Amino acid sequence: MLQLTATPASALADDPVHIRVTGLPPFQVVTLKASLKDEKGNLFQSKAFYKANGAGQVDLEQTPALGGDYVGVHPMGLFWSLKPEKAFQRLLKQDVMHSPFWVTLDLYDSICFHDSPTVQPWASQMVQRWFSGPGVQRKQIREGRVRGALFLPPGEGPFPGVIDLFGGFGNLIEFRASLLATRGFAVLALAYVAYEDLPDKLLEVDLEYFEEAANLLLAHPKIQKPGIGVISLSKGAEIALAMACYLKQVVATICINGFNAVSNVPLRYRDLVVTPIRSGGERMQVHISGAVCYRHCHGDPRDQLNRQSVLPVENAQGWILFIVGEDDECINSKAYAEQAMDQLQSHGRSCGRILVYPGAGHLIEPPYAPLCFASWVRGFSWPFLWGGVPAAHAAAEEHAWGEIQKFFRQHLIQTRCKL
Amino acid sequence: MLIQEVLLKIFLKNHPQCGTAKMIQLTATPVTALVDEPVHIRATGLTPFQVVSLQASLKDEKGNMFYSRAYYRANEIGEVDLEHDSSLGGDYVGRHPMGLIWSLKPENLLTRLMKKDVMNSPFQVHLKLYDSDILLDNKPTTALKASLTLERWYVAPGVTRILVQEGRLRGALFLPPGEGRFPGVIDLFGAVGGLIEFRASLLASHGFASLALAYYGYEDLPPRLEIIDLEYFEEAVNFLLRHPKVCGPGIGVVSICKGAEIGLSMAAHLKQITATVLINGPTFTVGIPQVYRGHVYQPAPFSAQLVTINSLGLVELNHLFEETGAEASQSFFPIEKAQGHFLFIVGEEDKNINSKRNAALAIEQLRRNGKNNWTLLSYPGAGHLIEPPYSPLCLASGIRTICSAFHWGGEVIPHAAAQEHAWKEIQKFLRKHLIPTATSKL
Repeated sequence: MLQLTATPASALADDPVHIRVTGLPPFQVVTLKASLKDEKGNLFQSKAFYKANGAGQVDLEQTPALGGDYVGVHPMGLFWSLKPEKAFQRLLKQDVMHSPFWVTLDLYDSICFHDSPTVQPWASQMVQRWFSGPGVQRKQIREGRVRGALFLPPGEGPFPGVIDLFGGFGNLIEFRASLLATRGFAVLALAYVAYEDLPDKLLEVDLEYFEEAANLLLAHPKIQKPGIGVISLSKGAEIALAMACYLKQVVATICINGFNAVSNVPLRYRDLVVTPIRSGGERMQVHISGAVCYRHCHGDPRDQLNRQSVLPVENAQGWILFIVGEDDECINSKAYAEQAMDQLQSHGRSCGRILVYPGAGHLIEPPYAPLCFASWVRGFSWPFLWGGVPAAHAAAEEHAWGEIQKFFRQHLIQTRCKL
Repeated sequence: MLIQEVLLKIFLKNHPQCGTAKMIQLTATPVTALVDEPVHIRATGLTPFQVVSLQASLKDEKGNMFYSRAYYRANEIGEVDLEHDSSLGGDYVGRHPMGLIWSLKPENLLTRLMKKDVMNSPFQVHLKLYDSDILLDNKPTTALKASLTLERWYVAPGVTRILVQEGRLRGALFLPPGEGRFPGVIDLFGAVGGLIEFRASLLASHGFASLALAYYGYEDLPPRLEIIDLEYFEEAVNFLLRHPKVCGPGIGVVSICKGAEIGLSMAAHLKQITATVLINGPTFTVGIPQVYRGHVYQPAPFSAQLVTINSLGLVELNHLFEETGAEASQSFFPIEKAQGHFLFIVGEEDKNINSKRNAALAIEQLRRNGKNNWTLLSYPGAGHLIEPPYSPLCLASGIRTICSAFHWGGEVIPHAAAQEHAWKEIQKFLRKHLIPTATSKL
């Protein structure tokens, strides 16, 4: 009897799913398709072609895909190779608490390319992908200047506190914070531009705003003292590195694909004003898809003229983990992370670590998210190129997510044991 | 401050007359030309070392817009010369005098630039010079400083076009200007169907009597491609040889993709074919059968599960025949019987056909039979749609009723270089094998 199974049918978005087909004719070539509609109604789809074995089985943990959106053995390939129907859409969950993403898995008895209303799948399954677990609480934060959302794990705590920072294009991205909270951390998804009453454009980075947020976390009864962690991407990673340098409250910082110097807008902290490295817009490159690669636009922190913009990482009191995608088309993140590591070493500091992922692009996110190769960005009339080779990017995300949690557990929970 | 800005300050201090406003000029020579002729683009009267943005735009006959841009830094006397200077960024980087033209990109990714009316109108390319102060977050903020419009024609003056509706034949014959006879060429495009004339009109502009031949999806020809009847193409060969302005005794074929499959078969079966140009074609029948005087070539078996989709969602067919081996022997043409010469043109980054492998198979078949009547031009970085020079790279487009997004492949810069080189080689090849020299007449 033909059966398509996907277990678990309801899970966290960063948990793998085991997909299997049984009861096929021996050596039958089949198509497996996945489809998802996001909260705005945008359709994302993927497909792969498999050949059943002599016993009429396809097991995505063992059977290689022969063609389609990916090739080879990739148990979660149908998820991370999901592609938007409309080019340059990024899949981002808005409501992380009350609804999952619904992914429909369809099995067709042959090579099935186009969606046809007349061709019915042999079998279908739906899986739910959740961004928060049972008992996780979300609290909208509007205290002082701080704007964001705080996610608390279930239970009494206290929990290690983490600030979550995304890129500089505004709004509030919550899904990584909610997932980390499900894994036992109290996470503040912190907005800093174009959200609620925050400024619409980032004209400067005021580190005191981020210090306020750090102190807010540390004052919470369910959050451990005396230090917090920061997880960050892109512009957020540059800010997080500055936090690590200047704020003693920050004891564990993860910087994903960020700059090691102040870029584009000045950094302010109390009396200190750090001028930014100027970027050359004329060095942008247009990819064949029409998306723009900014990787070559940024100034070189090693240039003597730029030295006052380089962040003094040797002053950081805590631990720093740099996560870098070698195929990052937005920022030359590997070079910047290596420079920061050199700077630490030349000052005799050993609190830094770097993870370099070949084939990974700019948007290294929790695992199994579709690779977003390029997408529209608020305020720009052309899409940004992020880069990434699909299978390698997916593997990087899976590995990095484990390392991220290990890093925080190692360096945040330890501080508690010092008492 | 950038090094260049510091140098500028020093320079202006020593050359005060350069700081005064001069008229900014944008020149292009020639302004009107054939599409396969280069244009020399220059800007003068700029501020020394300033960064400018050069943008090109084109509207095709359906209203689709194509754009390109490049950023240049003026030299110490305020000039930018695309023949000498390197672009800093934009749609291409480096020294590429024709970069603005071949890096044009459609607003919608899946659009292919193809001129329909080749006789009566050119493509107009609008060049604009912006004195730009590009911020990372938006479009240029300052005004247009200079502009001009290029005319890019697909026919030279004096070329005539004759609609062909003889017997079953449907196409357009382009004749070079002047008296006398010209070497004849049949021009075949791929499975996109219809009548595509722009390469034939260009070949006529270079001295070849060229027949753009449709074979499906045009007028009363079959609306769908279900079988290739080689006798139709034999009719075309005979038509050309009969024509008073065509000199024989041999005819050439210039063909791409599905057209190249037909071209290969023509060369194998029709002794009048003395020069065959095959661009990224298969070595065997693909998809549908071919028939010639009762002999049927069945389409080679393929493995549909080997179709791949790239990260942009574009469909790649270049692995389709990877598992096709000896069992496909009845799909291969007897090319060792061909009397003429072959020019195989291969784009190594072709994602629609495994062009490199196909050419290798054909050459192997010729070698096995003791033949050496072939030349191979293999271009790294070039994709499937190798067209006349300066044509923008079409990365992907659809074929109606088949697929909406085929990945043709190719990297912009090497593809452009391949087009430039291949075009010259195609003409040299045709002249060598079609124009009888005085000595060979003996």
